[in-house]
Amino acid sequence: MHFHKYEKIWLIFGSGSLIVFLMVLGFAAFWKGTHPQSHIETIDPQNIEAHEAFQAENLGLHEVEDGKYIVNIVASAFNYDLGKDENGDIVKTIRVPKGSSVLFQITTRDVVHGFQVAGTNVNMMVEPGHISRFETVLKNNGEFTIVCNEYCGIGHHLMFGTVEVY
Amino acid sequence: MMGKGKPSQKSASSFSLKGTFIAVMLLGVFILASWFGAYALFIAR
Repeated sequence: MHFHKYEKIWLIFGSGSLIVFLMVLGFAAFWKGTHPQSHIETIDPQNIEAHEAFQAENLGLHEVEDGKYIVNIVASAFNYDLGKDENGDIVKTIRVPKGSSVLFQITTRDVVHGFQVAGTNVNMMVEPGHISRFETVLKNNGEFTIVCNEYCGIGHHLMFGTVEVY
Repeated sequence: MMGKGKPSQKSASSFSLKGTFIAVMLLGVFILASWFGAYALFIAR
């Protein structure tokens, strides 16, 4: 079959891009372990307290080692439960130092919610029956709003919180 | 009816595809720029 010279160039360019993108995908999935955020662990949405991370006293921010944090969250219509502080007040803001590595673990007891920390790479779907996880290094100072970005019902817009990086 | 006239029998290599080539490469540049833009956002955040 005969190809025009230019046609050969853009066919090579196109096929080359496809190969490069497939390699990037393979590298991310198999080498760097990038997967959908809710891929392995399931949970009974009627009984999430059976999982240690989602018991009332374990919700919110915990420092596991120097500069390494875990945040356990329960999403429900229409609230993110980030636990209570030492005075028994409801936590709405999570404060972490700049450069911390933070693992967000979140599940829902009712419908599908979203969990996005706007302005960072944290952006997950939260599905009933699954535990969504995302670990990230928060390397920029600022206040980042947590928003639900999956429409979950009449109070969808009331689901928010704040992550403050200082 | 269409196609009843004399058939054009130019060989493929005699067409000028310069404009097409430029258009395709511009599209390629746009796609690459979008990809690197998204990647830069991912790295910076």
